[in-house]
Amino acid sequence: MSPKTIYVPKISSTRIWAVVLRHVYLFPKSFDRLTDMIYWPIMDIVLWGFTTRWVQQQGSGTVQNVVLAILTAMVFWQVVWRANYEVSVNLLEELWSANLVNMFATPLKPIEWVLALMTIGFLKMFVSVGVGVGAVWLLYSLNIFSIGWMMIPYVALLMFSGWFIGFLGASLIMLGGTRIQTIAWTMGFLFAPFSAVYYPITVLPNWAQTVARALPTTYVFEGMRSALLNGVFLWEYVVKSLVLGLIYLVLAICLFLWCCEKSREKGYVRLQ
Amino acid sequence: MSNDVVLSVRNLTKIYPGKVSFTALDHVSFDLHEGEILGLLGPNGAGKTTTIQMLLSTLKPTSGEIVYFGKNFFTNRSEILAQVAFASTYIKFPDRLTIRENLDVYGRLYGLTANERKHRMEKFLKFFGVWDQRDKPMSTTSAGQTTRVMLAKAFMAHPRIALLDEPTASLDPDIAHEVRAFVAEQQKEYNVSMLFTSHNMAEVAEVCDRVMFLQNGKIVANDTPDNLARSVSVSKVQLMMGDGMKRTIEYAQQHNLVYTVQERFIELEVDEHKIAELLSGLAKAKVEYTQISIDKPTLEMYFLQVAKEAKERK
Repeated sequence: MSPKTIYVPKISSTRIWAVVLRHVYLFPKSFDRLTDMIYWPIMDIVLWGFTTRWVQQQGSGTVQNVVLAILTAMVFWQVVWRANYEVSVNLLEELWSANLVNMFATPLKPIEWVLALMTIGFLKMFVSVGVGVGAVWLLYSLNIFSIGWMMIPYVALLMFSGWFIGFLGASLIMLGGTRIQTIAWTMGFLFAPFSAVYYPITVLPNWAQTVARALPTTYVFEGMRSALLNGVFLWEYVVKSLVLGLIYLVLAICLFLWCCEKSREKGYVRLQ
Repeated sequence: MSNDVVLSVRNLTKIYPGKVSFTALDHVSFDLHEGEILGLLGPNGAGKTTTIQMLLSTLKPTSGEIVYFGKNFFTNRSEILAQVAFASTYIKFPDRLTIRENLDVYGRLYGLTANERKHRMEKFLKFFGVWDQRDKPMSTTSAGQTTRVMLAKAFMAHPRIALLDEPTASLDPDIAHEVRAFVAEQQKEYNVSMLFTSHNMAEVAEVCDRVMFLQNGKIVANDTPDNLARSVSVSKVQLMMGDGMKRTIEYAQQHNLVYTVQERFIELEVDEHKIAELLSGLAKAKVEYTQISIDKPTLEMYFLQVAKEAKERK
């Protein structure tokens, strides 16, 4: 019996970096992208921060850490949003600039492109989260890092979730083109109500709780609230979120690559 | 596959499914030889762009085989595309990036080193006269400049094959001339093989070693530009009339010749072998003309003839 050959595609870090660089070059020249990355997170934090502070002033005891919990949730949601948004909008950037055919006429492989989109999301997430953390500290003298070193795995878990939502949206865009581009902005929010971002899962109706338990994001937000409000760190939530997040991310990337192949049947030109 | 064949296409077919399926390319087979410039001609919708898109893998064929350098394209895509360049007037660059940034990105995608990117960028941008604009965004460049940057991108990678989709469309005549000279130089110096589409027949006749004519997704001719032009037997005889326009028209009608009249000029389409007979007939009818020009059959005439025949068949 001859030994089985396992096909492992050769991945070029040079080509991945080339795609990352294409978006890095664009960043300082795009007012839209600067606004998305800096202006909106700050506006969210200002509005929600003062609202929750006012709510806190109306009560006592049980609402002690509500402001910090809501603002941390807000910054955490930026991680999901940023990772999701970067994947789908960077795909749209290629369609808007009629560059998709040009790019895939090079040796670039779809999987390298996927890895590049994830890298860009990772880099920009740092900027958005940094801005968010800084704004919370400056405006409310609150330190989101009070959650401690567990901030790191939480952020990583949320990034996996953001990427999976992003590739889900990008898959649809790859099939439908720019006429369904609104998916890039709306897909993330479809998951927000079920992810228990600002409220505990128990306030949701039963059917919605079932959906929520199937999402990796829910465990991060629930875990974060438990750590901040009760001082209890829930390890099992981290594991559940990690397992679900990785499964969904792998499935979403496979779906995206399948949609790229499907789109190739009609040709990338028609998407531009 | 003979040794000097760098691209071999066999039975390439593209059918778009739907309520009424549409066959864009129908069992097309051809070879591209090393150092050869092959023109791909045909009216709009003939299948030229479809062919090029499939040769780049941005469109999936329904069936058929594409072999570059003896290797199957579908299983060696990335390795092959490192040696195949593409330029098209209809494809763009990210317009907020500068010329330099765009070429830097594409140079990296083709695996060029920092030194190669720097030197080749300078060489090609200077050749195409856009070096001074290198730090300007693509959105500020003219259509002609964009086309030249596209060509710089294509040849920066020192490809073995270049797929050029109407590379001179939108260029001023002097720049188009430079591009043709550049293409010829790349062929001569680096033995680059090229697939070249254009609507400019004179250009195709000048640049291409061989021409493949596509009509409704099928190859209807595959020969040298001269041989294709020779297959058209009709010449055009233009006369600037002195006296006898009416008698010339009567002569054309009697002999079933196609003619067009514009002020003092008349143009008659006549079989190449019957030009002497025409001139003799006009002399007998005492027709006087002050200028005469005879257009030999050209590739454009061949193009028009094939297009006309296809229209009549429909």
